[in-house]
Amino acid sequence: MTLDLAQFHETFFEEGFEALGSMETALLKLSAGEPDAELINTIFRVAHSIKGGSATFGFADVAAFTHTLETLLDQLRSGQRHVHSNIVDVLLRSVDVLREMLSSTQRKQPVASAFTAGLHAQLQAIVKSSADGGASAPPVAAAIAVAAGSPAAAGEPAVPGWHIRLIPGPLMMEHGNDPLRMLRELASLGTLVTRVDAGKVPTLAELDPEECVLSWQMELRSDAERAAIDQIFEWAEGECTLSIEPMSPVVSTQAAASNAAPAPAGTATAPAASAAAVTAAAAAAAPDAPVTPAVASRAAAAAKLPSAPEAVRSAASEGGSIRVSIEKIDELLNSVGELVITQSVCSQLAALLEGRQADELRNALVQFERHMRSLQESVMRVRMLPIASIFNRFPRMIRDLGQRLGKKVELKMSGDQTELDKTVLEKIGDPLVHLVRNAVDHGIEMPDQRRAAGKDEQGKISLHAYHKGGNVIVEVSDDGAGLQRDKILAKARERGLVGADEELPDDKILNLIFAPGFSTVEVLSDVSGRGVGMDVVRRNINQIGGHVQLHSTPGKGSTVRIRLPLTLAILDGQLARVGREIYIVPIVSIVETIQIKRDQINSLAGKAELFRLRDEYIPIIRLYELFGIQADNTDLLNGLLMIVEADGKRVGLFVDELLSQQQVVIKSLETNFRQVTALAGATMLGDGRVALILDIPGVIVRYMDQPCRAEPAKEAA
Amino acid sequence: MAKDAQPTVDDALAEPRGRVILGASCTIHEGAAIKAHMLEQLARAGPYEIDGSAVERVDAAGVQLIVAFALDCLERGLEYVWKGRSETLEHAIELLSVGALLESPGAAGPPGAQ
Repeated sequence: MTLDLAQFHETFFEEGFEALGSMETALLKLSAGEPDAELINTIFRVAHSIKGGSATFGFADVAAFTHTLETLLDQLRSGQRHVHSNIVDVLLRSVDVLREMLSSTQRKQPVASAFTAGLHAQLQAIVKSSADGGASAPPVAAAIAVAAGSPAAAGEPAVPGWHIRLIPGPLMMEHGNDPLRMLRELASLGTLVTRVDAGKVPTLAELDPEECVLSWQMELRSDAERAAIDQIFEWAEGECTLSIEPMSPVVSTQAAASNAAPAPAGTATAPAASAAAVTAAAAAAAPDAPVTPAVASRAAAAAKLPSAPEAVRSAASEGGSIRVSIEKIDELLNSVGELVITQSVCSQLAALLEGRQADELRNALVQFERHMRSLQESVMRVRMLPIASIFNRFPRMIRDLGQRLGKKVELKMSGDQTELDKTVLEKIGDPLVHLVRNAVDHGIEMPDQRRAAGKDEQGKISLHAYHKGGNVIVEVSDDGAGLQRDKILAKARERGLVGADEELPDDKILNLIFAPGFSTVEVLSDVSGRGVGMDVVRRNINQIGGHVQLHSTPGKGSTVRIRLPLTLAILDGQLARVGREIYIVPIVSIVETIQIKRDQINSLAGKAELFRLRDEYIPIIRLYELFGIQADNTDLLNGLLMIVEADGKRVGLFVDELLSQQQVVIKSLETNFRQVTALAGATMLGDGRVALILDIPGVIVRYMDQPCRAEPAKEAA
Repeated sequence: MAKDAQPTVDDALAEPRGRVILGASCTIHEGAAIKAHMLEQLARAGPYEIDGSAVERVDAAGVQLIVAFALDCLERGLEYVWKGRSETLEHAIELLSVGALLESPGAAGPPGAQ
């Protein structure tokens, strides 16, 4: 009997990606402080396990790469070679390459040899070189040349260059960033060898002509500086996934200056290390040397990070789990949702019965309800994952960004075991990445600016997650330059967002950076430029029922506070009646509810109706008109106005009556019927009736789309 | 266009029924129109021909549409030939490295630059 190993491939890939995440985390801790034997063992085990799995399944490229990696790690583990910051750099890049290799193998695509060969050669060169730079060892640069088959091996000068990987994001081309232009400009810097990945091109009918689904891997043979390449992609920052790695053993002067430890004189590797073109491998393989100031500062930062044993404990506590597909859990959750509804129907029917047995039935139903709630919460918890799965990507990102920008940044994280529904987690990843990138890129000042401002030259970014009032709060804070209200206000006036003489409170001025199109670099170049894409951040968070707040103090820093629902499967809703229909309004969107007085109503040119709420005018949306249903009354004075807010806009929903507030199980309209603008879903009430759940941003869009309402209401909203 | 230097449609296919004719501008701005034109032609029975000889302006969005068209043909086993490619288009195809994807299965030979 033959065993079909293919059935285990997916598990291998899933576990492989997870293990690489652990390896990256461990490496970042390793880079920041004294090497810990257990930490190195953890890293070694990951490489060993991936090597074993890939060899078993016949993934020869992965097996060969991890074999070399494992050998290097074994040298570190046995003390034959000492941990050095440059070794850590190479190991971190190995994690990237392994991810890429696993990803290609998973997609059954060939592994991009150009992407992996350079680093594999570097690893081999390091492994073969003398660990402590003994005189008998071959020069590292020569070892690299032989391993890589580079021109240097044949006595030709090594050609420097860059590995570049470009994966355009969905909006990149739409925003005017044309990959063709980028590739053309790259080609002008030297010899460009390009490899396209067209694996994501859908059928022509499904292709969005404005979205780039092609991606490219390139080898640029050129002596161009990193800055010249960065400049080409400058405008596409945040709109694509981009990696730029030195192709040959040459590293940038910045990296060399900050990372390369001087080799002791008289060793075979010394010439390579002292040459103008310092090779990464040479620097990495150089013997332990006196700690440079840069390394010392890293060590200082390490003291503030969790210790290695803590990391091991944390890893151990993650054991004892089984893998269950998300579809199965969703089915389970759906069934529980149906049970909750059925139980509610039973309770309502039982309320109508009389007699002793009816009392017993009601008592039993109360218990039933309790057990149902408990079951529902348990199933919900199964879908919950710690936010650490998102937070874990930031140490590496901040490290790389800091190196690239020449900034010193310390990251503090807390509450990373705070749990959120998997769906919510998936949706907040990109907005959080955007906020953290902005904080590093634009919030934290350059070291000299910080010194001049009397601050520690190392900036601080903190990520903090915690529970509050049934929600999860995630805060991204920095101690950078903060936002400057005067510049924001001036730009808003220039763009006509604020009247020339109009005065706004500080919080409203800061919130202007969330306005679409407000975010261009020149707007806030000397402030922070953090307007870039902030409208998208807020929209994404609002779409999942969350809320974004911004606080900033000039010179002291900024904090973005995100309030998130624990789950997207259930919702805290306010039931509102309009005629015979019941609508559910998400409580998170409700600002207040008001009984309307005649003098608070204004009409604009006989079209839109506005409600004067203190010092602002708010469009009135008559829900019965919006949905074309019969209302009990059409006189605004006889109903209620629910003031709701979304995307920074406030509107008043005119309803007949408010009913109870309750937690409802959301049923997707898209799955069961079709997507309807202004509706987020439906639910079944205890009496068996179906109630529609309002999507407040959609309600506003639908209202604005009514031709007679649009213009005046837009001005007011 | 040096027509006599090109492999003609007749050389490769007896009777193309769908003709994709790319205009002077083949960019994201014309993307929706080009896609509609391509879909319209794809709705006809093959074989097809693509004429890119008039293209003066092109970007990645334009080239990506051509790739999607070519892959559709490939997937459905339909033949197409290039009637011609302008120098601009040829250069873009080369830079974006999609030449191999656009090798027409029905062509007698590679289309030369115009």
